[in-house]
Amino acid sequence: MDKVIDFEHKMAAHCETGTLTALLNYNGLNITEPLVFGIANGIFFGYLDSSNFPFPTIIVRSRPGQVRENISKRLNVKLNKWRFKDPDKGESKLDELISKGIPTAAQVDFFYMTYMPDWQRVHINVHFINIIGKKDDKYIISDSYYPRKSELNSDMMRKARWAGGFMAPKGFMYYPDEIPENIDFKKPVIKGIKRACRNMISLPVPFVGVKGIYKFADKIKEWPSLVRDTDHLSHEIMKINILLEDQGTGGAGFRFMYATFLQQAAEILNNNNLLDLSKRMMENGDKWREISYFAAKIGKNRDLGNDRIEELSLLIKKRADEEKDFFKELRKAV
Amino acid sequence: MKEKDLYVDFEPQQAVYYVEKDDSSYGPIVSGSQLSHDYLDDFYLKKKNLEKQLRDQVVSRQISPVFYYMTLQEMGIGDLASRVGISKRRLKKHFKPEYFEKLSLKILKKYATIFDVPMISLLQLIIVKQEDREKVEIEYMNTKNDCFIITKIGIKNNG
Repeated sequence: MDKVIDFEHKMAAHCETGTLTALLNYNGLNITEPLVFGIANGIFFGYLDSSNFPFPTIIVRSRPGQVRENISKRLNVKLNKWRFKDPDKGESKLDELISKGIPTAAQVDFFYMTYMPDWQRVHINVHFINIIGKKDDKYIISDSYYPRKSELNSDMMRKARWAGGFMAPKGFMYYPDEIPENIDFKKPVIKGIKRACRNMISLPVPFVGVKGIYKFADKIKEWPSLVRDTDHLSHEIMKINILLEDQGTGGAGFRFMYATFLQQAAEILNNNNLLDLSKRMMENGDKWREISYFAAKIGKNRDLGNDRIEELSLLIKKRADEEKDFFKELRKAV
Repeated sequence: MKEKDLYVDFEPQQAVYYVEKDDSSYGPIVSGSQLSHDYLDDFYLKKKNLEKQLRDQVVSRQISPVFYYMTLQEMGIGDLASRVGISKRRLKKHFKPEYFEKLSLKILKKYATIFDVPMISLLQLIIVKQEDREKVEIEYMNTKNDCFIITKIGIKNNG
């Protein structure tokens, strides 16, 4: 089967919002990535320490899949979705959709995306790509993280879609089937903002939202006792930069993208308070980026004594203080 | 952050970042990764040091190749155990050479698929001499027999 769909490839900040935005755009809905992110209350924070990760880690966005589900619910977009136990069935269903000319989003383990630079390839089961064709047993892919359309042979695609493990993709794939015409974004935007505020300041869980940022500031002081050696500590500290900047966040742990959403939301709702808050979020993002720079610098210089870690912890705590106040203000503004 | 403060020229790793444009509107730009632009050498240096440490531990029979690849690929124990379809306790046994030596080909194949290496790479490490690295290319060719691959070693045309 050879078929390549005429699909405009565009890079995006984040894989989940990027694939969904591209599919919505392809199907005629004019919507931006920040608007998808904001309506779906993608902004979040969590400090996670579990055996599913080799080291304690942070997350800066909502649970994978929630963006898709929230957009479907709030914009009334009907998605056709599948999961498959049997790879043969999952593969032939994907091929069938492609042969019908339907670009389809699939969940994969990022590690097997062999077109990406090797230093970026890590096992993350919640990467999303759009599959837009198949030629000579190779899938044609539109990956938000890659500058051009790319290819992956079908063996590798099978490994990636049925990788197993934590948050296993299980061959998950979807495409938007029905999109309402003339969507009024006002209500969904308000809902997205309110839910984001709830997730950041009101959830009674000690490691998520602003409480998660405080926990991160506190727990990072224990990191030196958890590592193999200085190289390992340097790597983990520098990974903070990767998680905040380079792992599909649009910079500053999604804070820059959220500021962009708030600017667009201000226009949709005709609400100047949101414009001020969007500027404030951009400044908050700048401070998160300072944390990234600082982490990279001390990591590279192996300048990882207690005083430096303490300094890093303090910078993180200040973000928790700011975001606690910010999301309270944001809740009042809508 | 303003566009000019964020933009980095680094073609090998590009991504979309949201910035403040000249007209004060916020929007996306494509930029190189600042971290990789500045510190990629350091990343590889640490990776090389870690590989050497782990290799020494495999050679001296302190750890198994399963632990070697898991650590190099930064996988969590819970995640890897779930991918293989075994308990964490059993996985931990596979970290020890004495248990690794008893593993079936079926299990080895699972590990090889997960780590995306040929099954033989769980039993041997091929290292090309430093001075020949630019010249030599190695190609693993799968066959219809899952337990048998053909390894082609050649000199690159420009070598």
